[in-house]
Amino acid sequence: MATTKELIKNDIAKYLSQHETKDMLQLITCGSVDDGKSTLIGRLLHESQALTEDQLENAETDSIKHGTQGDSLDFALLVDGLAAEREQGITIDVAYRYFNTDQRKFIIADCPGHEQYTRNMITGASTAEAAIILVDARKGIQTQTRRHTYLASLMGIRNVVLAVNKMDLVSYAEDTFNKIVEEFNEFTQSEQLEIESSTAIPLSALNGDNLTARGTNMPWYHGSTLLSLLETMKVDQEIALNKPFRLPVQWVNRPNLDFRGFAGTVASGTIKTGDQVRVQPSGKTSSIERIVTKDGDLDRAIAGQAITLTLKDEIDISRGDIISTTETPASSANQFESTIVWMNEEPLLPGRQYLLKCGTSTSTATITDIKHEINVDTLEQIAAKTLEINNIGNCNINLDRQIAFDNYEDNRATGSFILVDRVTNETVGAGTLNFALRRSQNIHMQAVDVDKGLRSELKEQKSCVLWFTGLSGSGKSTIANIVEAKLAKEGRHTYLLDGDNVRHGLNKDLGFTDEDRVENIRRIGEVARLMVDSGLIVLTAFISPFRAERQMARALLEEDEFMEVYVETPLAVAEQRDPKGLYKKARSGDLKNFTGIDSPYEQPENPEMLVDTSSNSAEQCAEQIIRTLRERGVI
Amino acid sequence: MNTGSTDTIALNERRRLAVKLRLEGRKLKEVSELVDLSSPTIITAHKQFLKGGWEAVDVKPRGRPSGERSVPEDLLETLSSKAFARPEQNVPWSFSLLADQAKKLGADTSARTIGKYVEQWNLGADNLYKSAKSSDELTDWLTNDYKKITETARKQDSTIFWAGLTTCTLAKTKTTDKQIKKYLYAHTTKGQYLWLAADHNNDAEHFIDFFGRLLNHKPKLTVIWHGHDPMLTPATKDWLNNHVQINFYQHPQTIMNATQKIRTKSTAYATNDQHIDTQAADERQTIKNPMTLTHLQRLEAESIHIMREAVAAAVKPAMLYSLGKDSSVMLHLAQKAFYPAKPPFPLVHVDTGWKFQAMYEFRDKVAKETGLQLIVHKNIAGIDKGVNPFTHGSSIHTDILKTEALKQALDKHGFDITFGGARRDEEKSRAKERILSFRNEQHRWDPKNQRPELWNLYNTSTSPGESIRAFPLSNWTELDIWQYINQENIPVVPLYFAAERPVVLRDGAWIMVDDDRMPMNKGETPIMKQVRFRTLGCYPLTGAVESEATTVQDVIKEMLLSNNSERQGRMIDHDSSASMEKKKQEGYF
Repeated sequence: MATTKELIKNDIAKYLSQHETKDMLQLITCGSVDDGKSTLIGRLLHESQALTEDQLENAETDSIKHGTQGDSLDFALLVDGLAAEREQGITIDVAYRYFNTDQRKFIIADCPGHEQYTRNMITGASTAEAAIILVDARKGIQTQTRRHTYLASLMGIRNVVLAVNKMDLVSYAEDTFNKIVEEFNEFTQSEQLEIESSTAIPLSALNGDNLTARGTNMPWYHGSTLLSLLETMKVDQEIALNKPFRLPVQWVNRPNLDFRGFAGTVASGTIKTGDQVRVQPSGKTSSIERIVTKDGDLDRAIAGQAITLTLKDEIDISRGDIISTTETPASSANQFESTIVWMNEEPLLPGRQYLLKCGTSTSTATITDIKHEINVDTLEQIAAKTLEINNIGNCNINLDRQIAFDNYEDNRATGSFILVDRVTNETVGAGTLNFALRRSQNIHMQAVDVDKGLRSELKEQKSCVLWFTGLSGSGKSTIANIVEAKLAKEGRHTYLLDGDNVRHGLNKDLGFTDEDRVENIRRIGEVARLMVDSGLIVLTAFISPFRAERQMARALLEEDEFMEVYVETPLAVAEQRDPKGLYKKARSGDLKNFTGIDSPYEQPENPEMLVDTSSNSAEQCAEQIIRTLRERGVI
Repeated sequence: MNTGSTDTIALNERRRLAVKLRLEGRKLKEVSELVDLSSPTIITAHKQFLKGGWEAVDVKPRGRPSGERSVPEDLLETLSSKAFARPEQNVPWSFSLLADQAKKLGADTSARTIGKYVEQWNLGADNLYKSAKSSDELTDWLTNDYKKITETARKQDSTIFWAGLTTCTLAKTKTTDKQIKKYLYAHTTKGQYLWLAADHNNDAEHFIDFFGRLLNHKPKLTVIWHGHDPMLTPATKDWLNNHVQINFYQHPQTIMNATQKIRTKSTAYATNDQHIDTQAADERQTIKNPMTLTHLQRLEAESIHIMREAVAAAVKPAMLYSLGKDSSVMLHLAQKAFYPAKPPFPLVHVDTGWKFQAMYEFRDKVAKETGLQLIVHKNIAGIDKGVNPFTHGSSIHTDILKTEALKQALDKHGFDITFGGARRDEEKSRAKERILSFRNEQHRWDPKNQRPELWNLYNTSTSPGESIRAFPLSNWTELDIWQYINQENIPVVPLYFAAERPVVLRDGAWIMVDDDRMPMNKGETPIMKQVRFRTLGCYPLTGAVESEATTVQDVIKEMLLSNNSERQGRMIDHDSSASMEKKKQEGYF
């Protein structure tokens, strides 16, 4: 460092020109509270002079308040960011740290080790090129070491460093170190984890042995220090260069009529002007006209650059498409096998719809099947109907349209996705596209000559669904029944799908758990859609308590074909009516998961129709609905 | 070719003469001039004489009458099948080894002839050294890195081989169908050529077999690998790690890797590699792949990506423009992100009324030059109440004129996504904030309930009333910012550079007397001092540092040599070490 300082002092221009060519490595550190992770990071920052005097001073003050290291400076306090963490002495979220050496800039994602924070580790690992997995030399390979290694491999991290810390507490014994390394190798090999290279280093973060310098305590170790290893590792951007060209289109830039550019970050590969390209999922082709940047046009663009392309031909391209070279284009499909990490308190429910964001495309996704859950500690596959927070599962997913993609193992940027809840807008899951399911390429819609419009016309009506929702005993079936009778009298063609009736046949295999309720509604939605297609006015009477499921049914139909009818009845009134005696059973605990009692009912926010049965008779309500149907031109 | 025979005779006479003259003790240069032969030729001829007498000095006639030493047709197939299989000897095939085999089969042939056959069988390869020399792109690499490699090799008495993997199509024969074969090859700069095209179950096995055999050929190797990256598997790397006699470098045009020596150490082999340590320093100095993006290029691309994602999702985006160096960099990046269009959003300046005069001047100039709409917002109610940093203190001043004003501005215009220039390295609580930070209707931040951010996928969905603060500079450090300003020549407010300014010392900080609203305490008189600012805010709350730095490079120099963090000059963070986190929760940017 002394020489660097001299250089800064004497020739800052030269120093800067040297440092302009530095590259960047993103890494993740994982380990539990007691493995000394924060100490390790604090040390790295300190030794690479990334910490300043006032930060150190702050740490010293804090050290007196919360410190666990006696008189010496507690490095952990430098990196545990949030006040709560300082007080509890644990790291509870991902924190990012930065430091520079003469070779590289480093970004460290510091991740907590507890099981409940799997999602945090996944978050940190998603952008990491290398993982440092800490173990306490006294304890050796722990369950969580296996978990961290598995998660790193799952997220496609190529380089893993096994940092055997606290060597000072095992008298710097070579045997202890070797045993741990052996056990680790056995694990990675037996589980066939996809790790390209792993390195073990014996460390004492507290004393700084083998961190940036050798020290004298472990003369038996001849490998490199942690820092020199990190400085020489291959960065992912370099690896991406040799992969096929991919540009997920972020933004169509149209400042005027003469310019139409497609802006995005090159996910992999290289491209030159004149190269032939194919746009997925549309499959249209053209060639590169210009590679535009504010600093002037480029002849060639490479992985990692943010650019704007213009094409020779005017073809339709929008955000979400991927531009590839013609020889090796991205694939396109709408059904996938994927690995999903669940990140939300609300469990994943197969059949429910989520927004899926992959690259720059957004589509609607349904998890059709959880093939199995993976126990992250034992790597066993276990059967599962849902995924709870921090669980990982292999799932089949179905999208509402074709998207361009690559398998995750081929391309991290175009094979990864997040799932967003449509109601709360939270990021509820993250996953990797493992491969497209073949059937998605083979199933095509059968085109027919007689269509919905023609069928409706023959029946002199506009086919649609009246989706009655409300508490049990609110009067859905009664009102729907009257409405159907009135329509029939007018000569309309109708069909009433009733909750109890459907459960005796089509859905007799389903119970009343949350997952089964979702599946129940999904099937009814699909049946209703077919009936609408046949030209009928369909009435459905189901409690359908979840907003997301009604939304799912709505999404199956055209915009004006779905009419949500909210049969509003206060719980107390419904319970008093209790026509089937179900509330009584639920109250006494004989009936589980009963809507309104121990399972929630989510009221519609903007129903097309609202009928109030507490102040109107069923007949009046039915009349109101018929009136609305007339107004809307259905009949 | 036979036309050479008379020349050959003449040449041999000159060679013999040269040897005679050398034996007489004439100087090499003198002999060279006399007989018109180059020095290496004379040395070789001399050596040959010492080894084998006058006979040995003569060069053999070049070329031969057709058919004279060629391999008979019937032996040729046997020979070629050998060339495509593993040799019995534990070395790779070379022309001379195959010639020996031919002789054993009864064909009188030479290594040179074999070379021609090998070429015919498509088992040859380009001379990588020659093509490197003729490539413009590699000039730098040859003069710097390759030179270092050769120097190291010479010191270690290690032989340099250029090596690679290629394929050939094996023509259909009586016994086999047409097939494609992979083969590994290596050659020296002097043209010695070795290859191995045996059947191996996998590439790694092939790789290890080949280089293992090559080690039997030469005990110390320096390999410049122009092969396929997939060959560099954990198994092959592991093997390389265990064979320190091989210095393994990647050819720069393989792209896959910088020409760093590959020492991706495997766990199984964690120790006893002395080699790496002594060379570690050299290695780290070795060549960067010219296609590797620098850290600034990567940061730039990431920021642009974030801006484009946010704008694609936003209904009404805006950029908070605070006039600091970070804002300047952010604006510069925005111009790059949407070029040739203008950034599709206005700049918002939350004005406390207490900024430095120089900042206002700079602001108006930038707005004019970029042609972007500038929205200036002040908390009028607060100003009317006479809130100011002197009587109300930094905390209330910031709260009312900054945080409150910001919320007002965002509410008034209904911006759904607002860019801010905050960096994670500024302060501990910022290190945990996401790139997209969600605020509720009251603009509050909930650090315990942040959306996970994975890969470069940003969830931009918002619930009614929610808004997003987007921080495209999250991963930049103060040093990165200044380096980028230096590299891109980005204009910044002149207050960042040292000049004589009127200041008073208050609570241990130099406060600039920027206008006459600043009341002087008893005994205070402004003095002129050469100072500058590391961060810019409200002038009464921003401490100056004594400095001589008048250029960007000076500033970087000073920063690298100083030991204080940039926010130290700001009074706002000082209240308690968790104060920034508290302010952020309340809606501060």
